[in-house]
Amino acid sequence: MEGKYASDPEWDSIQPIPLDDGSESGAQPLATIAYASEYLEATSYLRAVMAANEMSERALKLTEDIISMNPAHYTVWIYRAKILIALEKDLKDELEWLNGVSLKYLKNYQIWHHRQVLMSRRDAFPTPPVKEPDFLMEMFAQDSKNYHVWTYRHWYVRHFKLWDAPREIQDVEALLASDVRNNSAWNHRYMLRFGPRDDEPDAGMQNSGGDPSEKGRLAVVDEDVIDAELQYAKSKIVRAPENRSPWTYARGVLRAAGRPLSEWKEFTGKFVIEKEGGVEVKSSHAVEWLADVFAEESGSGQEAVRMLTLLKEKYDPIRSNYWDYRIRTITGSEVSASA
Amino acid sequence: MPIVIAAAGKPRRKVRFSSNQTSQAIAQRKSRQPSAPPAKTYSMYEPQAHPGVPDLYQELPRLLDALCTETSELQQETVEKCRPFLQGIDPSQVGPFNRHGVPSLRQDNHIGYLYDSLEEYPTGFASLDASRPWMVYWALAGLCLFGEDVTRFRERVISTFSRMQNPTGGLGGGHGQLSHCASGYAAVLSLAMVGGEEAFSLIDRDAMWRWLGKLKQPDGGFRVCVGGEEDVRGAYCSMVIIALLDLPLALPPDAEARQHGLETFASGLPEYLSRCQTFEGGISGSPGSEAHGAYAFCALACLCLLGQPEETVSKCMDVPLLLSWLSARQYAPEGGFSGRTNKLVDGCYSHWVGSCWPLLQSALDGVQSAADPRASTGNLYSREGLTRYILACCQSNHGGLRDKPGKHPDSYHTCYTLTGLSMAQHRHYHTTSSASSNEVLASAFSWKWTPITASEDTASDQNVFDEKDRLTASHPIFAIPHAAAESMHVWCQQHPVNI
Repeated sequence: MEGKYASDPEWDSIQPIPLDDGSESGAQPLATIAYASEYLEATSYLRAVMAANEMSERALKLTEDIISMNPAHYTVWIYRAKILIALEKDLKDELEWLNGVSLKYLKNYQIWHHRQVLMSRRDAFPTPPVKEPDFLMEMFAQDSKNYHVWTYRHWYVRHFKLWDAPREIQDVEALLASDVRNNSAWNHRYMLRFGPRDDEPDAGMQNSGGDPSEKGRLAVVDEDVIDAELQYAKSKIVRAPENRSPWTYARGVLRAAGRPLSEWKEFTGKFVIEKEGGVEVKSSHAVEWLADVFAEESGSGQEAVRMLTLLKEKYDPIRSNYWDYRIRTITGSEVSASA
Repeated sequence: MPIVIAAAGKPRRKVRFSSNQTSQAIAQRKSRQPSAPPAKTYSMYEPQAHPGVPDLYQELPRLLDALCTETSELQQETVEKCRPFLQGIDPSQVGPFNRHGVPSLRQDNHIGYLYDSLEEYPTGFASLDASRPWMVYWALAGLCLFGEDVTRFRERVISTFSRMQNPTGGLGGGHGQLSHCASGYAAVLSLAMVGGEEAFSLIDRDAMWRWLGKLKQPDGGFRVCVGGEEDVRGAYCSMVIIALLDLPLALPPDAEARQHGLETFASGLPEYLSRCQTFEGGISGSPGSEAHGAYAFCALACLCLLGQPEETVSKCMDVPLLLSWLSARQYAPEGGFSGRTNKLVDGCYSHWVGSCWPLLQSALDGVQSAADPRASTGNLYSREGLTRYILACCQSNHGGLRDKPGKHPDSYHTCYTLTGLSMAQHRHYHTTSSASSNEVLASAFSWKWTPITASEDTASDQNVFDEKDRLTASHPIFAIPHAAAESMHVWCQQHPVNI
């Protein structure tokens, strides 16, 4: 094999392990790739240094080379993290390098786990790096709903206990100001306000250990926070009443407080206006909300069915089977063990 | 977005196996030739929508907010891109169109595309180097849906995976790559599909069991690989491997999770998955993240591996909340599913979201008699909408299926749109009759199906595909044919691991 590693004296001591894709067995392996010779050579050296569990500068450089050719190579990232720790490298330098790579490969999985591995080192990062939120916002400027970045940000908040850090809620509000439909930002907001903290196990909702219908219920409710969050949701709903995110958020807030949906009966009524000869609807989510309020009230089953029928026939007919199921549940004609 | 890197495989050389086809397959193929000109009519100025397409799949939703943001712009662009396809008037559509205005499934093209996707990729595809096990799985699973005989690939599957296996247990994405649960999952499913003793015995099950023990975490979840991230993919892939290979549920003696009081692979797992449900009702990849269709499938399928859905799902999930979120994944006029709130439809969610439906419907219906299923809840989503989206919007002219119009097809989307189409064509239910003698896994190997026929059409739930476009059934947990999953499991039960 003639290549940059074979001709480099630094690599003289390594006997590369060439790719064995199984073709020796006589049966042509499937979905093979006509690798570039540079890639084939570099990965042959990777196999060799990994087999020897080599923790060295040259191995570190090799991982960078392979990442530049294939950032989706998860093995090389995990090996790289191991070397960085073993050689006690300055992880701040690594983070700097990683920022550039992250902006280049936006959809990559491995990069964000690697970042988490680095950031979880208390020796290198006893406190959150000052520039971290700026970098994350730079990522969100490219892709404001990037799942990996949001998952990392959630981990970061929890790791450094940043639920009440002003910057977190500021960034959420900035993102919602530019796109009130950014559901990832709404999810982050919920976790900041109502997610489990400190030593409680992490969860999408507090109180996730018992009866599922009790999920989300807070042990201690700060009614001021609840009221403020409900007000926030209302202010966003009026901007775009057909936006599902703040409606769902408000449901989550009421659920956290153990307060009933009927609290918003008047507010939702503004979007479902009874008129001579019909109903003027400005938000399908308000109709659904009212259906749930009526379903909870005794004696309002018919009203609930009327709302669900509006959704089924007019405002959300692609989901008619679901609305029918809801109607059957309310009218009691559901024979199966319904939810 | 897809949870794995998807491949767009062009250009490739054509490899076909026409000489090997059964006479039945050829006869079926022949009957698929267009017999009548497409029922498209054109007015002088703009093409008219096919008369069989209801307004629901042509018109914008009745309520649209004036406020314009990035999300609403992307949504509007997507609707505009999909609309001519749904109406059956996009010039690139080939047809023929049926009386519902839905184009035929271009089976020959897709089959050809999937066979090609198993051959060599050019240099530019190095980014797939760690995803080759997936490439094999997607192609074989897709071909199985068309009723193709994939046993012809047995030797090639074995040679592909033999060098990916590590002596310390598990398989990586390629020779010398670290073992990863996704590679192991794709490999085990592929070996099950090609079948046979040589394939079933390829995996070193003792070593696999020991390696999986290293993935189990104190909180009940699984990492995807040693040193890798922990998420519900790790849990689902690991539990599928354990189930199909009938590995002991007990954790290996040296598993670190044992030091945290966990004794089996299932320990703490329902609780972990329960913590992945979000305030929206959907399920996230790890506790605290956003609800996401692909992770919802992984979590639900995992629960359905651990027992009967009516018990495991109902115990861990707020089912009404989950139903509400899952139902909201379907959009009109597109008809397809999105993966998250305020995100776009994507063909791959035809499986991720679409396969959640039989699992959840089964949780509502409870266990059925194998001989006389009485399923009562019925379909809670629009099979018609999903079928229209897949057949009208996802088919690429030159074979393969895609995320949405304007995107290139790849084998990931081809496999998962087709799996979703199959789900919309069959009723799945779990029964009292299991192929497994393993107490915990009995329910997972008890699933049966019946085709949903046009004779059952109702106003809100009708077949809009032609009978010739019916795919074979796919197991709602394992995403391979039922018989393939059962054969591998039964063989492994007959050949227990000596531990």
